[in-house]
Amino acid sequence: MSDEKSIMERIREANKAYTTGLDDEGIEHWVTIYLMGKAYKVPADLTIMQAIEYAGYQFIRGSGCRAGFCGACATVYRKKGDYKLHAALACQTRVEDGMYLVQIPFTPAEKASYNINKEVPDEQVLLKYYPEIARCVSCNTCTKACPQELQVMDYVQAALRGDLQKTAELSFDCIQCGLCALRCPAEICQYHVGQLARRMYGKYGLSEPPSPAQRIQEIEQGRYEDQFNRLMKMGRDELEKLYNEREKE
Amino acid sequence: MTELKFIRGYPEYMLESIELVHRTRDRRRKEIPASMTMQEREDVLHIHPDYAPGGKRKIKAGPNRGDITPNELADLLEAWPRIDPGDIDLGNIDHDVDILIIGGGLAGTAAALLANDNGVPKEGILLTNKLRHGDSNSIMAQGGTQAADRPEDSPILHYLDALGGGHFTNKPDVLKAMVEDAPSVIRWLGELGAMFDRDEQGNFIELWGGGTSRKRMHSAKDYTGMEELRVLRDEFRSREIPVLEFYPAVELLTDRAGRVTGAILWNTETGQYKVVRAKATILATGGFGRLHIRGFPTTNHYGATADGIVLAYRAGAKLRDLDTVQYHPTGAAYPQQIIGLLITEKLRGMGAQVLNKRGEAFVYPLEPRDIEASAIIRECYEHENCIVTPTRMRAVWLDSPLIEEVSGKGSVERELPAMVRMYKRFGIDMRKDPILVFPTLHYQNGGVETDPKGHTNIEGLFVAGEISGGVHGKNRLIGNSTLDCMVFGRRAGTYAAQYVKEGVEPGELTLKHVEGYVELLKEAGIPPERKAPMLLPDYRGKTVLARMIDVL
Amino acid sequence: MKLPFYPGCSLKAQAKNFETSGIAAAHALGVELVEIERWNCCGTVYSLTGDDLMRQVAPVRNLIRVQEFGENRMAVLCAMCYNTEKRASLRAQRNKEDLEKMNAFMDKEEDYRGEVDVVHLLEILRDEVGFDRIKDRVERPLRGLRVSPYYGCMLLRPREAGIDDADRPRVMEDLLGALGAEVIDHPYKSHCCGSYHTVDDPHLVARRAHAILSSITAHGGEIVALSCPLCKHNLDDRQELVAQLYPDFSKVPVVYFTQLMALAFGLEDAMGFDQHYVDPHPLLEEKGLLRKIKV
Repeated sequence: MSDEKSIMERIREANKAYTTGLDDEGIEHWVTIYLMGKAYKVPADLTIMQAIEYAGYQFIRGSGCRAGFCGACATVYRKKGDYKLHAALACQTRVEDGMYLVQIPFTPAEKASYNINKEVPDEQVLLKYYPEIARCVSCNTCTKACPQELQVMDYVQAALRGDLQKTAELSFDCIQCGLCALRCPAEICQYHVGQLARRMYGKYGLSEPPSPAQRIQEIEQGRYEDQFNRLMKMGRDELEKLYNEREKE
Repeated sequence: MTELKFIRGYPEYMLESIELVHRTRDRRRKEIPASMTMQEREDVLHIHPDYAPGGKRKIKAGPNRGDITPNELADLLEAWPRIDPGDIDLGNIDHDVDILIIGGGLAGTAAALLANDNGVPKEGILLTNKLRHGDSNSIMAQGGTQAADRPEDSPILHYLDALGGGHFTNKPDVLKAMVEDAPSVIRWLGELGAMFDRDEQGNFIELWGGGTSRKRMHSAKDYTGMEELRVLRDEFRSREIPVLEFYPAVELLTDRAGRVTGAILWNTETGQYKVVRAKATILATGGFGRLHIRGFPTTNHYGATADGIVLAYRAGAKLRDLDTVQYHPTGAAYPQQIIGLLITEKLRGMGAQVLNKRGEAFVYPLEPRDIEASAIIRECYEHENCIVTPTRMRAVWLDSPLIEEVSGKGSVERELPAMVRMYKRFGIDMRKDPILVFPTLHYQNGGVETDPKGHTNIEGLFVAGEISGGVHGKNRLIGNSTLDCMVFGRRAGTYAAQYVKEGVEPGELTLKHVEGYVELLKEAGIPPERKAPMLLPDYRGKTVLARMIDVL
Repeated sequence: MKLPFYPGCSLKAQAKNFETSGIAAAHALGVELVEIERWNCCGTVYSLTGDDLMRQVAPVRNLIRVQEFGENRMAVLCAMCYNTEKRASLRAQRNKEDLEKMNAFMDKEEDYRGEVDVVHLLEILRDEVGFDRIKDRVERPLRGLRVSPYYGCMLLRPREAGIDDADRPRVMEDLLGALGAEVIDHPYKSHCCGSYHTVDDPHLVARRAHAILSSITAHGGEIVALSCPLCKHNLDDRQELVAQLYPDFSKVPVVYFTQLMALAFGLEDAMGFDQHYVDPHPLLEEKGLLRKIKV
């Protein structure tokens, strides 16, 4: 039995750097990054988020899922000798030597209020709530700012001509980090437009499959009550037998 | 450590093993290991981090005194409050509401919507978040949502699947409520505009999951949680229901009779506190992955620190099934930047196999999670048939390229765009090369005991989502967590609204329960240095921490 | 013949019948209009400003799309889009410095080489298909239909963009003649309809529409053919306001030239006569033009 314990201890040891803070032991490769202009020497193989924590910051804003889904850690940076402005997610991007970065944990953005039950899924609905879409000059800055590499300009253009399906499909992987909206010269909030398009398309563009409605009716009519009552009275052994013998599709 | 040369994102020394994976693929396609017998299951479970000795102890104080729970959670349950009741002026109420919801993931947001649907005006609801609204485990859920809506399926089968998966310890009436509400949840989401995956005929594409006897997992690519949550959140925002961000709850408030009457919220950016009086309080604070139980990495988000359980426990809530912890069998193990992140079971549902360093499939790919995880740990640490990463983590292969053959060319990119994107960012093409995985801390199976209406044993306190205990028993199946959140979020919202409408007097506000709890801690000899709730994990570099001083 | 085709925003929404009838009529003459992928709004209005180079990026990006496919021509139906794209293409061709700046800014695109020609469908019909072939394709001559062509501004001005002589254009007259219609000339056929003043000064538009349409009626025209969704809005949808301001005004149906082509070619499903304020059906019925063609 002590074997299991020592295995657990070995696992804990192997994961120490990721479950507690990193220390300097055994780190051979270093880079220098600049957090809002302040230089920090950090281990070379970290993500921006890990490096910021290594440098001594405990995130209040700017850390969410830490896996690339929530958009909390939007970061913009430049690299030495390069004029280009890059956008990235801190939790998904490796540090580079000479990286000049800042985090953007919040974007001020007006989200329209609507009741999609009362809206018509026509070409005008997106323009109705976000008329600023018409200001789009196709400059492509939003696409360049997107850490998910989405074709943002393309979905704004689809929104402009009222193509709900295309807007929904092209914007689907959007994590609403806000960088597109901040950079847009026409001051459009692209991700809010995408959200409305997806809800309208999801509700009106996709057909309603018959299956849930049917089953819901059956449940409401109490079709399964007897079976449930029997199950809920069964003892453990009987249930185990039923479980093991159940037929898999 | 000498310079590592990388090929296709992997260190050179792993290439030999990767080649074996590619070479064995054709043969393995037809030779899938058989699923384990009951005896084989028992034989392997001993190495599971939840069963291996040394990780748990008896709780020393409170309603579940004497019950076993992991050390890291016991540390928080047996801990002193962060606030001193003497510092709080309870006479000055900042928000006076009908329903306070603590936690804005799927469960909390669903609760707000249903409370509003059931007659509570938006001004009567307040949703508060420790981080932003939506920062949660929900938003990262990749697999899907189970619902027995097809004619070939039935809620009875869904019930049985979950019951067996839960080792027959699930609370029957609560489980029944969940499986019966499931088809309604799918319909509700459709009405709100969620885009679930469809086939050409317009029917839902429904998938396998570990332990399910029917295909009933509804998903939206591998962004299911994100799609569901952003639709609910968008509806919430459209209704302009009041919301707070960066305002975690640090204590509940109770009256002299022990009813929960609100909470103290704390502004993490300014240190200011708010007193909230509420006729009903719903805790939807999620899980505890950031406790890193047994030192495991986690799939959970930054804020998963068991705050809600601690707060409820101090108020006298009964907990259940917190003696078990769910480890997801496949967390990313390489590269180090993504250690612990969820590699959804959907991959195995689509055909991926789990392989050792010789490219051999050593376990049936879709065992229930605890079995699958144990098999992997055994292969790594007992049989030593694993890959060791540059950071000395042990891991096995998950043959993702096999999915392209089983489910069709292009299926990986189409069904798992989030994951393909994640690996691409680090130079690995998971459609062409396998990925390394190891079990990771994933889910809190138990929690505050609840009933079909989201009640707890304390009047005025409701729970919904991962914080609750009973619906999954001692082990949750894939696709039942997002379902749990939405079913019980809706129920808690509905029944809290009903409770409020029945005519509840706004309660007196005291921290007596906290003072009482402190007495219990003193009796048990717990030192005051240990404090809870944790609120945020601490990953600050040790070197820097050693040189930090408080000057301002 | 295959031609890359730029629809523009209006043809996907309020002018869908222009697109449908245009594509069908062209197809009937062996001209395949193939919609270019990933096109964006040409910007029109603001892209027509000369001093803001940024606004030229939108129309030039569409030309890059054509270039990406190895093509060097782009066909357009909407007169405003045509004019915008044409002038953007000419500016890129003639002003190397501007082109360099635009290419440097659009760093995610291949450089635009300035080699794409922008053509209006009317030019293709006149110069490459030929009116004789059009006449041969007619199955239902528009006998007895007195049509007045309306060019508006964008097809003819400025000279560098014009598809015909600005003072005496003939292309639409010739086309309508080939379709068998009786062409009724009128003096206001290239007078501005009021364009975007429909947004800030509808009365101005109503006055112009009144002048143009009454003149047409006075000369004997009973239906108007045009090539621009904005002109169509001002001359058709605005007739409600015209009628309010001028009680003696009699309404005139207004259609796209491509719809008359579809009608004459017997393309029943592509005519799109339901998207109008003034319903063309009664007039066409009266002329016996809606009776199904006997096979």
